[in-house]
Amino acid sequence: MLMAQTIIDRPANVPASPPLIEIRGAAKIYPTADGRGVRAVDHVDLDIAEGEFVCIVGPSGCGKSTLLRMLAGLDDVTAGTLRLGGRPVTGASPDVGVVFQAANLLPWLTVRQNVALPLRVGGHHAPAEDRIDALLAMTGLGDFGARYPYELSGGMQQRAGICRALARDPRILLMDEPFGALDALTRERMNLELQRIWQASGKTVLLITHSIGEALFLADRVVVMSPRPGRILKVLNIPIPRPRSFDTIVSHPMYAGLASETRRLLNAEGGIE
Amino acid sequence: MTDAVSPSRPAAHAARPPRTVNGSLIAAIGMAVLLGAWIAGVRLFDVPAYILPRPEAVLKALWSGLAVSPLSPVGFYLPLWGTLSNAAVGFLVGTTLGIVLGSLMAESRTIEKLLMPYAFALQSLPKVAIAPLIVIWFGFGDGSKIAIAALLAFFPILVNCFTGLRATEPERIDLMRSLSASRFEIYRIVKLPSAAPYIFAGLDMAVVYALLGTIVAEFLGAQQGMGVVITQAQAITDVAGVFAALVILGALGILLHGAVRRLERRVVHWANRGKP
Repeated sequence: MLMAQTIIDRPANVPASPPLIEIRGAAKIYPTADGRGVRAVDHVDLDIAEGEFVCIVGPSGCGKSTLLRMLAGLDDVTAGTLRLGGRPVTGASPDVGVVFQAANLLPWLTVRQNVALPLRVGGHHAPAEDRIDALLAMTGLGDFGARYPYELSGGMQQRAGICRALARDPRILLMDEPFGALDALTRERMNLELQRIWQASGKTVLLITHSIGEALFLADRVVVMSPRPGRILKVLNIPIPRPRSFDTIVSHPMYAGLASETRRLLNAEGGIE
Repeated sequence: MTDAVSPSRPAAHAARPPRTVNGSLIAAIGMAVLLGAWIAGVRLFDVPAYILPRPEAVLKALWSGLAVSPLSPVGFYLPLWGTLSNAAVGFLVGTTLGIVLGSLMAESRTIEKLLMPYAFALQSLPKVAIAPLIVIWFGFGDGSKIAIAALLAFFPILVNCFTGLRATEPERIDLMRSLSASRFEIYRIVKLPSAAPYIFAGLDMAVVYALLGTIVAEFLGAQQGMGVVITQAQAITDVAGVFAALVILGALGILLHGAVRRLERRVVHWANRGKP
């Protein structure tokens, strides 16, 4: 029922190029012991253009992570189709870098080895040292390459996680609640940094969060999802100019309205308290 | 000897704080109290030396075994070397087999279903009772010592390696899958390091079991080894000599355990440092 709306709701500032990410009627049913299955995602339609920053907000367990896992090729779709750059998703794609919750670094590898991991597995054999240097420098980790993850703060660990996702220079970054484990101040700093990285790199980003503030700060469009089974309630355009800052964004004339509408949508479905 | 198949917890001992002066002091006081009670008890109750010798007699027996040329036929060094070298080969064979089979079972449900029943059946047998059979098969030479040491070292490694590999955090496997990593890359880069704390907990047991297995095999018949030293001392009711050999074996067990722990802290340095 929302298909038309989600596709038509495109922001004026995004060019009408063919979408880089195409989600059509995607559904996911997890098998259960009683044979009926749990419907995690239900008929989701969403197009994301190259270079766009889209945030998905929704209550816990609304299937937003499942949607991201399906795009990353980690889970199969039960129904519908997913396309990246016109090609159907059949597994992990070299066009995609995934940023996991709580960084998910391997504790037995140094920061540098973690960042270089994508360049030595899955058919890659030669880590480009200067590329890793550049990534570490870009995220302020230049002096920490030889450290182990447990020697780093949570924010720095997730910067390394972002570096790793960028190592193969993918066109798409999929981020699954990347800053959820961080304190509020570190989180804001990471949001600023992510905005800068995104603007500098021109990647297409799909980020999952349950923070309305984070979604409004980062996104070109905010996709609001319902509790399970996850459906798209509404897609909101966030026409606030960039680069945004936390000081000025709240005083933007549209901010309060967008925030309260997002909150209203989530509350109406009994999701977020 | 364990009859339980449950894997030992890897986290338990890595978290222990480094030993302090206080800790060594407590250990020294405990030792002094024990020796004091021993000396006092033997004198007070007039215990005959063939039941419990005096500590002085044990020390004397230790000294006469240690203060000789390493090649002396009456010293502890040659039997110790015989026992240690067989235990070491058995340990290597047992742990290698344990890691290989544990890995195969963890990676393949088919192999798991095929081998698990036998592993449990063999594990629930008291292996000391199998020892005579192994002596029949391998003879009284080094072969039977190595085989029993390997058999005893094998199980803790098999079970711990299997459990550790299966306990790999799914997020880490997701990470590798998102990078199109091959199955072997996932095993080598993620699963094996994840299982390392478990494997080390198994090694800690296996190293002592290998020593135990060698001694048991030597009891059943051997030309040399600490087991032979014990049975020979027993034959002439040299109880102090038996005690001296036991002290050597106890000290060796502590040394080997310490060596495994040291290696573990070096290799698995990340464990218990908080999740990344």
